[in-house]
Amino acid sequence: MLRINSITKSYHQRGTVLKELSLHLMEGDSMSVIGPSGSGKTTLLNIIGLLDKPDSGEILFRGEPLLNYSPDESARYRNRNLGFVFQDHLLLPYLTVRENILLPLLASDLSASDFGEKEQHAIKLMERTGISDLGEKYPFQISGGEAQRATLVRSLVNKPSLLLADEPTGSLDKNNAIILGELLLEMNRELGVTIILATHSHDLAEKMAIRMELVSGALEEVKGKAK
Amino acid sequence: MKPGTGHIILRTLLFYRSSVISQILIIMLLSAVISGSLMTGNSVRYSLKRSSSERLGNTGIVVNSGMRYFDPSVSERFSRHSAAGSTGILEMKGYCQNFATGGSAFNVNIIGIDPSFFAFHGDQDLLIGEGSVAINSKLAELLGLNEGDDITIRFDDISDIPADAPFAPEKGPGTSMVLTVGKVLSSGRAGNFSLGISQITPLNIFINRSDIITEDGEPPAINRLLVEGSRDISVSDVYTALKEVLTPEDIGLKIRLSEMTGSYEIITARIFLDESLIDEIKGVLPLAEPVITYMGNRFVAGNNMAPYSFISGLPSSLFADLPNGNGIIINQWLADDLNAAPGDTIEVRWYSPDIDNRLTEASGRFIVSNVAGMADQVADPLLMPEFPGISGSESCSDWDAGVPIDMKLIRQVDEDYWSRYKGTPKAVISYEKGRELWGSNYGPATSLRFPPVITGPEIRSALEGSLDPYRTGFTITDIQAESIRAASQGTDFSTLFLSLGFFIILSSVILLVLVLSTYLDSRKAQVRTFFALGFTDRYIGKMLIYEAGVVAFAGALAGIAAGVLFNLMIIKALNSVWSGAVQTDTLVAGMAFYPVLGGFSATLIVTLIIISIRIRSFLKGFKKAETGIYIGHSSRLNLILLILCSVPALILLVLSVVTEEFSVPFSFASGALFFLSLIFLFRQMLLRRPRMVASGAERGRNILTTLYNSFNPSHATTPMLFIAAGIFAIMITGVNKLSINDRMLESSGGTGGYLLWSELAVPVKEDLNSRAGRIEFGLDDEELSGLSFVHARRSQGDDASCLNLNNVAAPPLLGIDPRQFVDKGAFSFATKLKSAGRVNPWELLDTPAGDNIIYGIADQTVMQWGLKIRTGDTIVIRAENGEPLSIVIAGGLKASVFQGYVLTGFRDFNRYFPSVSGSQILLADGDPEMAAAYKEVLESRFINYGIRVETTAERLSSFFGVNNTYLTVFSFLGTIGMVLGIAGLGFIMLRNYSRRRQEFALMMAAGFTPRGIRSMIMRDQLRILVAGIITGAVPALIATLPSLRSGTDIPWMLFVLMMISIFTVGVISLLVAVRRIEARSLITSLRKE
Repeated sequence: MLRINSITKSYHQRGTVLKELSLHLMEGDSMSVIGPSGSGKTTLLNIIGLLDKPDSGEILFRGEPLLNYSPDESARYRNRNLGFVFQDHLLLPYLTVRENILLPLLASDLSASDFGEKEQHAIKLMERTGISDLGEKYPFQISGGEAQRATLVRSLVNKPSLLLADEPTGSLDKNNAIILGELLLEMNRELGVTIILATHSHDLAEKMAIRMELVSGALEEVKGKAK
Repeated sequence: MKPGTGHIILRTLLFYRSSVISQILIIMLLSAVISGSLMTGNSVRYSLKRSSSERLGNTGIVVNSGMRYFDPSVSERFSRHSAAGSTGILEMKGYCQNFATGGSAFNVNIIGIDPSFFAFHGDQDLLIGEGSVAINSKLAELLGLNEGDDITIRFDDISDIPADAPFAPEKGPGTSMVLTVGKVLSSGRAGNFSLGISQITPLNIFINRSDIITEDGEPPAINRLLVEGSRDISVSDVYTALKEVLTPEDIGLKIRLSEMTGSYEIITARIFLDESLIDEIKGVLPLAEPVITYMGNRFVAGNNMAPYSFISGLPSSLFADLPNGNGIIINQWLADDLNAAPGDTIEVRWYSPDIDNRLTEASGRFIVSNVAGMADQVADPLLMPEFPGISGSESCSDWDAGVPIDMKLIRQVDEDYWSRYKGTPKAVISYEKGRELWGSNYGPATSLRFPPVITGPEIRSALEGSLDPYRTGFTITDIQAESIRAASQGTDFSTLFLSLGFFIILSSVILLVLVLSTYLDSRKAQVRTFFALGFTDRYIGKMLIYEAGVVAFAGALAGIAAGVLFNLMIIKALNSVWSGAVQTDTLVAGMAFYPVLGGFSATLIVTLIIISIRIRSFLKGFKKAETGIYIGHSSRLNLILLILCSVPALILLVLSVVTEEFSVPFSFASGALFFLSLIFLFRQMLLRRPRMVASGAERGRNILTTLYNSFNPSHATTPMLFIAAGIFAIMITGVNKLSINDRMLESSGGTGGYLLWSELAVPVKEDLNSRAGRIEFGLDDEELSGLSFVHARRSQGDDASCLNLNNVAAPPLLGIDPRQFVDKGAFSFATKLKSAGRVNPWELLDTPAGDNIIYGIADQTVMQWGLKIRTGDTIVIRAENGEPLSIVIAGGLKASVFQGYVLTGFRDFNRYFPSVSGSQILLADGDPEMAAAYKEVLESRFINYGIRVETTAERLSSFFGVNNTYLTVFSFLGTIGMVLGIAGLGFIMLRNYSRRRQEFALMMAAGFTPRGIRSMIMRDQLRILVAGIITGAVPALIATLPSLRSGTDIPWMLFVLMMISIFTVGVISLLVAVRRIEARSLITSLRKE
């Protein structure tokens, strides 16, 4: 599904962050990436999401090279195939929870029936994640855990094939972090969505089928059995 | 302050240098406008003082005898007595022509001087050759005159006798002289000498007084004494010295001996002695008794009649056995002529001394009490005053009595009497009765007689040094101080330009607030850290204020330099493109300490107040508890407000179209309500909250924008309101530029419905509405039958119109017949005297107000800006006799052709200014189709009177020009302010962008393209821009509908340019701002800070 071949990324002040990094993921995989702050986890996710560009290397999504995409093609790629979950929930303050969840649908040219279908999908996800009663509330009226679950639903509303989660539990307490971790795995199992999870949390990381560590700009597999 | 704080502040300012520089630049702009405006005010005041100082030369105090004349030798005696330099001049108004080209100049100062004049002004060597004149360079430039060219000058005849006084000789159209231009004088050589208070450079002709010859063959006397300015001499010193040196002869009095009675008498060159002068002499010499002698047209007894004989009113204290009341003593000659004896009744007829009825015969019936012999003391030939046209005549047929004499009535017996007894009165009555019948504005007596016990030398000796100058027609003014006062209290350009630059100031303040908000937003983390580290609120607030203080100080200081530039540019514009406002090109940009300090301090205070408020609110934000309660914006309330505004707006609009009288207030109110309606309509559209539906990317972005705006409507309405309000104000101001419309040409308008305004250098004495007057000037053609006139007499004074930047305390009076305006319903009043109830203010001008109190009417604008008074207030000026005259303002005229004057009734005017004879202002009425023909006729018929004719519309326009120039300045500076404000839109964008970075980054992650996000923002902001322009422009047009419909000259080009500028600057600002929304810069926002 996703193949990364020898990508390198350097920043003027931070030096080389990713060095000849390669990765190959199959549909339905779940992978965690751990590593210290500044090791390049977010950079890797941004590059996969075409929010950033590597200095060199190649990325193939379902066999198609991504790095030559125009900005419009990149946007379309993200909209149709990707879901993002960030450490901060990044819900827009002027939209209700429901509107926030439906936000990605506005970026695509959906027919009314497709839109309706995805809206129904969103409702189910909201029920599944326990936030169905919060649809008409504004982000500042709900808790951090609820907001992060709303973010998860938003990332999945467009039925993406790849979910990029960047420290999704970083702002949550332990209980909420556990709930969100479980939800991620359930989505992986039930919807077949491929997950790449960047985290500091070893507990969460160990729940993923593939566990990698970013060391000196390259991915190294973490030995041990998944929980 | 704790140690090290200064260091932190410095490092902070350096770190945030780009924002700090923005703040400094905005504060600099604010400071530039404030200090620049103050400097402009100071520059104008300085220029006015400088020009008045240049005009006055060495003159410090001026002794002014108004329309009267006094002996030139006073100057020498005065200087000897007071040790103060002085020179006498004869100041007149007139007109002149370039003899070769015929080019003419009106309202020219003709100054008769003595050789001492230029020496007095410090130019010892400058003299004017005999038969030549010196002119100032402005006049030379205007008429294209050079040294050696010939110039024709014309001015009113110079005579001690008021032309309208009874029996004053007939006068022609003034004096005309052709002279050679000997010198063209620059301002440095007293060329611009003037005693008038005005910034307008005068047109001057200096002529040797000895070159002017009056009717008696002598050079004329003087009417001004210039006293050298010095700290050692005050008005009081001048008064004392003048009183000391003043002799009776100096003011035209003559002491002579009556051989018949052996008593002395005082007579005057003016024929009639003023009441105040009589009181003054009687105060010194209580035994003086007034005598009045008048000419009777006919003495009739039964069937007998004697024509044109004199009759005296005598004091009983000097003449024994005088009858009282209607008793009359006739001399033997008249008794024989009329065959009358004691007990008989004699009817006496005479021309009324009242100027209004000068050619109307009045009469009285008297009972003969006695017949006096021809050697009796009442048969004194000196009882007749020295009537210039009568006294020296050989026979009655030679008389120039100033009134119609029917020569057919004069018999040989009358010639015989004249030959033997000259003007010896044929009859006498009591003085009291004589005064009642013949006393007039010119005085109640023709002489003052003394008992034989007092000799001429005793009289002279008593009067010398005793006559109060103030009671003998003189005014003494510290003209230097008065000029400085007038300049200091004149039009306040500081306030004016602060007001005109309002939008720049407002824009600067808004920009400052916006930049400050952005700046403080970026400081949140730092401040949070300080809180976390245990710094107190007080300390953090103090630190932020100190930082702001440094920024404000730097900005305000830099603004002073920019203010100097602003001042230079404004003064340059006022001297050129905006000269319509100041009527001169001689303003000089100057710098002074106080305006600089004022501008600096004001900017610093304003800035620090704004900054303190923002900082306080910023720090409060850190303590605000999150409640989670969301109170949405009520679209229902907004809709109610929209309906409440738009329905009355529509009703008022319809009313403004269908009603004539109230169309202006209705349309303005309608425009204002439409303005509010559009604001509420725009807000209503913003508050709409659409559902998210299948839409496509572009519509999806619109939905997002709409949702954003419905959540934060103020983010869109604030800039829209700013743009709309600015355009609304500028357009209303622009459309309201005054121009002549049909209403102004109506009777109730500013022209009073009159066609032409004429000013004459030499007053016209005739009544141009009378048959005789029309014949005299060839206005009796059938074609001109519709032409009629309002005559106005003018006293001296400084122009109080908006064309004069100085504060004028004593404006010229115009004496008019108010009945003509009442009958015509001419002109309209902006304000009326409340205590007069419903009485027409014009009618008050015919109502006596009291002794030395009269009613006056002035243009409202003159009162408000020039005189700084209100209706009901009193201004005090000096009457001709030197006495204070209070003028109670009975009404303020709406913008009229009378700007610059105070109007008063004819009767009052003649009473207090009897020497002003003839009309210098004529308002002509007639067939509007023939206005051009009338103008041509008047210009040709009155060519010798130095007439200048303009349509009343043109005159009104010239006043509007000043107002309109100010409005242009306002529009210009307003547009600059708006453009700067719109540039601030960029800051709003940047601020919003900075707040919404994460939102845009998230949108990008969700599949929106950066281009799409930019396009979304551009569309949204363009919508605000266009909504602002429409909301400002459309209601402004509605508010000014009457002006638009009346064909007022609308500055469409300015409006279009303004809107294009605003739109262009807005678009550029937006483009610059949205350019910063790009993928790379947004990615970092996705990480948690």
